[in-house]
Amino acid sequence: MLDQKTDVLVIGAGPAGSMTAKWAAKHGAKVLMIEKRQEIGSPVRCGEGMSKEWLPEVGIRPGKWINVEVEGARIFSPSEKVFEINEKDAGNEVGYVVERDGFDKQLAIDAANEGVDVVLKTAAVAVLKEGKRIVGARVKQFGETFEIRAPITIGADGFESQVGRWAGLPTNLQLRDMDTCLQYRMTNVDCDTRYCDFYLGKVAPGGYVWVFPKDQGLANVGIGVQVSQLKSMAEARSYLDAWIDKHPGYAKGKKIDIVGGGVSISAPLKQTVTDGFMLVGDAARMIDPLTGGGIANGCIAGKICGEVAARAVEANDPSAAFLQAYEKGWRARLEEKLYRNWLAKEKLCTIPDETFDKIIDALQDVRLEKLSVHNILKAVHEKYPEVTKEFESFL
Amino acid sequence: MPNKKSLHIESSGQLCIYCGACVGICPLNCIYLDETRITFDERICTRCEICVRACPVGAIEIG
Repeated sequence: MLDQKTDVLVIGAGPAGSMTAKWAAKHGAKVLMIEKRQEIGSPVRCGEGMSKEWLPEVGIRPGKWINVEVEGARIFSPSEKVFEINEKDAGNEVGYVVERDGFDKQLAIDAANEGVDVVLKTAAVAVLKEGKRIVGARVKQFGETFEIRAPITIGADGFESQVGRWAGLPTNLQLRDMDTCLQYRMTNVDCDTRYCDFYLGKVAPGGYVWVFPKDQGLANVGIGVQVSQLKSMAEARSYLDAWIDKHPGYAKGKKIDIVGGGVSISAPLKQTVTDGFMLVGDAARMIDPLTGGGIANGCIAGKICGEVAARAVEANDPSAAFLQAYEKGWRARLEEKLYRNWLAKEKLCTIPDETFDKIIDALQDVRLEKLSVHNILKAVHEKYPEVTKEFESFL
Repeated sequence: MPNKKSLHIESSGQLCIYCGACVGICPLNCIYLDETRITFDERICTRCEICVRACPVGAIEIG
């Protein structure tokens, strides 16, 4: 590699990065996408559940990366009363259980096929600035440092994003804005491949335990817990191990893989662009704060980001003012739901286990025609009027 | 660096799973993740211990 110039530099080859790169290239820009790992998509850092209705919107075709297609989700209250939701209403972690490494590779291949240059084992170590404007990045590859100059630089470096902060965007998270996650891929467990399962309450403070089924008797069994509710070291692991110990159908299973990671559960960022720079995906805190799902939002925003990047190159205008088209575009598509789900999550974090039990108990007796906060509260109100009282403000 | 406690990130692989949770939560942006190595900037780190709580497997210790 040598010092070089390109139109659009994308840092990170996850779903948001590949999607951004692909759509920028499709609209005529010269795009270079760098990835610090030696293999795209690996190691996997994901529960691998995702919804599917958004895929045509961003031009992703179903492929071998789909492992299992589920019918819906089951929500388990602390005393394990169950509420079933069909897949369409279940939010953005439910629909497919995927082979995430295969999914990421497919998206990178799609980008490459549109003419994107993909360079592996190349990490950004700083952004290049001219005054306030970002004009590329300093990168490290095989121990050597190079400069890549580009009128448009895009940070798609995931939850642990540093690029955004180097560019001056405030992406810092409070302890309450993050769930720390641990997951085992297990074999020989008793799970139902028709459902993605979610266990709420004290088993996972500020988060949930998930069981996402895969084929051949495999399942991803994981936990997310809010960092502000943790007191001692390795508590995420203790919570998950305790949950598994209490469930014989899982305790008999064998772990064949361990996955960890952070998930942001914050309200949407106030700013995701600056002169010559845009932030996208998990790096831009676009993860759904209620479900913890980030793939759909990252891809949807990525398409918008790529299109705006290409237009900025064509107009020879990388100013923050021009890039507002991206800021406005992704917010129009995603922000209202992100904000609403953040409010719902904030409320859920305060609900005691007994109340959870009552809510799920009331819901399992009825068949909701459409899943909405209003319908849920109505159903709960009929059986436990005292429970809905504290939600009046939320309505 | 007087009075600073010692911070140790076990990143040889015995505990660390290279998940990046500590990198994302560090308020000073001073933890770095290579593919199989985690380092932090001794000069910038204030030992706020946030990364200790965020680590899902207990690979970070403050002494």
